[in-house]
Amino acid sequence: MNWELIFLFISPVLCSLPIAFFWVKEPGSERARKLPLLSVFGLFISFVIAIHILLKYPDGTYTIPWLPEYNINFVFIFDYLSKYMGALTAFIAFMIGIYGLEYMKHDYRLGWYWFFFNMFTASMLLVVYSDNLLMLLIGWEGLGLASWGLIGHWFRDDDELAYVGIIGRKIGPLKMYWPPSYGGWRAISTIRVGDMPMFFAVAAIYALTGNLNISQIHWGMLFSKIGAAGTVFLMLCFLMGPFTKSAQLPFSEWLMTAMTGPTTVSALLHSATMVAAGTYLFIRMSWYIHPWALHSVPGVAVLYFFVMLLGLISAFYGALVAIGCLERKVLLAASTMSSLGLMFGCAAASYWFGKLALVIAFWYLLTHAFAKATLFLVAGHLIHATHTRFCCGDLSLAKKMKTGLVATIIATVALGGLPPLTAYWVKAGMDGVMHHLVEMVGSTPLYLLILTSLLYSAFLAKFLSLNFWKGCKCSSLHLHEERLMPFAYACVVSMVFLLLYKILSGTDPLVEKHLLEFGLEKDSLMVGLGVTATYLFALVVPRISVLSPIGTFLGDRMYLPALNDFIVPSIGWAISKLIEYTHKAIDWFCHFGLPDFMLSISRRIRSIQVGYLRVYMKIALAFVMLTIFVSMMGWL
Amino acid sequence: MMVLLLSALVSLILIVFGAVCSLKDLRLSLAASILALIIVLVSSITTQLFPYVLLVVAIGILTVFSMSIRENQISGVDYSLVALIALITAYIAYTNDISFILAAFVIASVPTYALVFVSTDGAKPHVDVALKYIVFMVLATVLFIIGTLFLAYSNSSGNTMLYTLGFVMLILGLGMEVGCAPMHEWVPDVFSAADPLPLSVVASITKIVPFVAAYKIILLTALPQLSKLTIFVAFIAVISMFTGNIGALTAKETGRILAYSTVANMGYVIATLAIVTSKNYLYLAFAGALLQLIVNAFGKASFFASIKTNGCSRPLMYLLALSFIGLPPLMGFWSKFFILTSLVGAGLIWLAFLLIVNSAISIPYYLRIARNLAGETFPGKVTAIALISSVAMLITVLPPNWFVSLAKAFFGGV
Repeated sequence: MNWELIFLFISPVLCSLPIAFFWVKEPGSERARKLPLLSVFGLFISFVIAIHILLKYPDGTYTIPWLPEYNINFVFIFDYLSKYMGALTAFIAFMIGIYGLEYMKHDYRLGWYWFFFNMFTASMLLVVYSDNLLMLLIGWEGLGLASWGLIGHWFRDDDELAYVGIIGRKIGPLKMYWPPSYGGWRAISTIRVGDMPMFFAVAAIYALTGNLNISQIHWGMLFSKIGAAGTVFLMLCFLMGPFTKSAQLPFSEWLMTAMTGPTTVSALLHSATMVAAGTYLFIRMSWYIHPWALHSVPGVAVLYFFVMLLGLISAFYGALVAIGCLERKVLLAASTMSSLGLMFGCAAASYWFGKLALVIAFWYLLTHAFAKATLFLVAGHLIHATHTRFCCGDLSLAKKMKTGLVATIIATVALGGLPPLTAYWVKAGMDGVMHHLVEMVGSTPLYLLILTSLLYSAFLAKFLSLNFWKGCKCSSLHLHEERLMPFAYACVVSMVFLLLYKILSGTDPLVEKHLLEFGLEKDSLMVGLGVTATYLFALVVPRISVLSPIGTFLGDRMYLPALNDFIVPSIGWAISKLIEYTHKAIDWFCHFGLPDFMLSISRRIRSIQVGYLRVYMKIALAFVMLTIFVSMMGWL
Repeated sequence: MMVLLLSALVSLILIVFGAVCSLKDLRLSLAASILALIIVLVSSITTQLFPYVLLVVAIGILTVFSMSIRENQISGVDYSLVALIALITAYIAYTNDISFILAAFVIASVPTYALVFVSTDGAKPHVDVALKYIVFMVLATVLFIIGTLFLAYSNSSGNTMLYTLGFVMLILGLGMEVGCAPMHEWVPDVFSAADPLPLSVVASITKIVPFVAAYKIILLTALPQLSKLTIFVAFIAVISMFTGNIGALTAKETGRILAYSTVANMGYVIATLAIVTSKNYLYLAFAGALLQLIVNAFGKASFFASIKTNGCSRPLMYLLALSFIGLPPLMGFWSKFFILTSLVGAGLIWLAFLLIVNSAISIPYYLRIARNLAGETFPGKVTAIALISSVAMLITVLPPNWFVSLAKAFFGGV
């Protein structure tokens, strides 16, 4: 038994149990407020183990028997993807844990918070390291449950800071503000919609292949067996899980209102883990499906084209929404959705481009995770300091939050794709991939990518500008000599330089010098220059008042909330009305219809018992004569 | 054969002796009747049909006891009459002779004419009710006998027209005799107005002979024409089931509910005649019919005896009602199970479906019977009768495969 592996998953949960139980007994006591240290220590253990796995473990799988007679086991996989992703998850969770020690210091529900936070981390690690789909589902569901607990953490809905949207604002029947309790509900309900078909798809894969290990299933044979329609249907059912988790259209709404959770939660869930789990799973599946080798199998092309288009359109939509957003965290959430779309798009291009597209998508995931986590953490610090969710702040604020300013500049520049920082090289890789596709599927993907990239750098610059330079002056500042929070985001943002070093040195076994080559091409440089120009423009002109009606429309997410808050509930109400009437009909039938009918027949049957023999004889003889007559007629 | 004849003779003499003894001492009459039945039982001990005779004799003794609960105008003689019915019910199993079968049909029917008249506690005899009963019975007997004669004649001459007429008349006679709808008008009146004690005979043991007789006659005189005529039987069965079960739903007096229950049960039984042409399922169908008749006999004897004493032991009443409903593993389940299996096997799935629907309809009123009759448990003849009946319902806890082989032996003849 490999105890190290067991501890990787168990230690966060075990270490969070003391606070979970102790908080119930003595909520808010001084002693209870010290226990979160233990929780963070559990995250630290996981982090150390994940680093150990990254550096020392050989590639391969490790199996612990579970249901060996059904060929279902706990199978852990250690490969390029899981090693990096595991280290990333554990590192970010640990850092956000440290941040949370300070950020959540005065919270009223620390037992709940830390238990779900650590359980979330353990679930994510399980998703990352599992090769077996059933075991992956355990982690997957753990993510869903913990996200509900964390997003709805401030369940009392009594803090204006925890809402999303302007309180009291309404558009038609739609309330354009969402309290934390509703945010939690929106998250879990949307995710369940995707999980249901995913369960059935996993069951179908098992039924068809007798195997659940992603790396062992012979995907090509499976797809040939079920034909084109079967392949598309099965994989779309499966991908409903990743699509909803990664907030692709039209399931993006939950991600926006998930910002009702504490900022630590937003940073953990919506940068590197929960939402990335969907794209990670898609990359992992494609890694072993080898779609580039399945051009002879019908259906795969349709599937990957659909995923690519959905991803790119979601990316474009997310970028547009972010442009219009004025709430710090919601802007970042929309940008996350946009990034996830880009990852899907690039990963799906692997069908035409080969494995390198997956590597590029994965590297974008890594870059995005560090940069976006930093931005979320800074946003949290800003909310803490300014007591408002909306972008505001000027140079005086910037002077007081130097670490925050520097971290934001680095993160926006590195993530926006300004040459020569990290995301530039990764996005240059994406440009190269989409350029390669022009001959095969047309130039739409390339244009979508470039447009998204331009918008992306613009809203990042807008975020920087509105919070530290050109935003309105903050009425009251509450800076409390925070130390852990700046430390945490400084550590996280420094990681983008590590990635940059890896890219430039060409030491990564799969990236090698490819990204460098893509980045030095003329087209990529052009895009890089364009991105830099938009970035600088947006930095100087963060708001254009002439365009504010359009901005409001975009900031209202193009009224997509209507889907979650009006259309789907209306269908639900209609169904429940229908069921109510059906119930009434059944009740009426059982209580009145059938009994009354039986009663009247019964009375009629008994009504011939008048007591007179002559009547009885008439009936009996009439029947006898009738029967004999009919039988003689030849009827019988 | 000789043993059976001799013992029959001895039993008859004992029965007559018992009737004569009633002038002197009723206990002697009772003893003579019971002894006669025991001789019947002993004489058949080596034959294949012994289990059937055992059940019939048990029902016979129960009904004799039931008559002895209260004295009536013909006390003593009534024991003999019941014993005579039981004797002929036992012996009809052994014969394949049409004249004997017809004689048995008459002998099993006529004693009940006298029984229906009687009343206890010095009340007036039930002339009005008895007249209705007798008129129907006479008509039924006439139809049955003429039908049999037509069948027997057409079987030798090959006249299909006459055969059809004979079959229809036979079924009409049978239906009228046992109380199938739509010739059931006498049943609710008689069952609610006559004295419950003779009814425990009329409603129970007397139903067996007509069916056995009809089965034997139809099989002895069968022509190819028969397969076209069975739909008529199914028709009667369906009408009877629905009339009985739905009629019972709103009936309030226990006697009247039991009357409609009888109509429904006769429907179940006559339904088996619809597959008399199916070689593979004939015996299963007959086993089901016979078992249903035995369940009906035990149950009705106990229920009517309980009506006389205004109730009986609660658990016994519920057990008998559940057996009528058809709850496994009680005997009432197996009878319906056999009937349903044979109907489905022979292709009459629609009839099986209607039978199940009817079983469901019957649940409320059987429970109502049990609730009406449920009372304290007290030692006495009624409790004994109900207890023995309940034990009989429980002998099928092990699946009664033996009953199917028994049913086959019925048509071997002696």
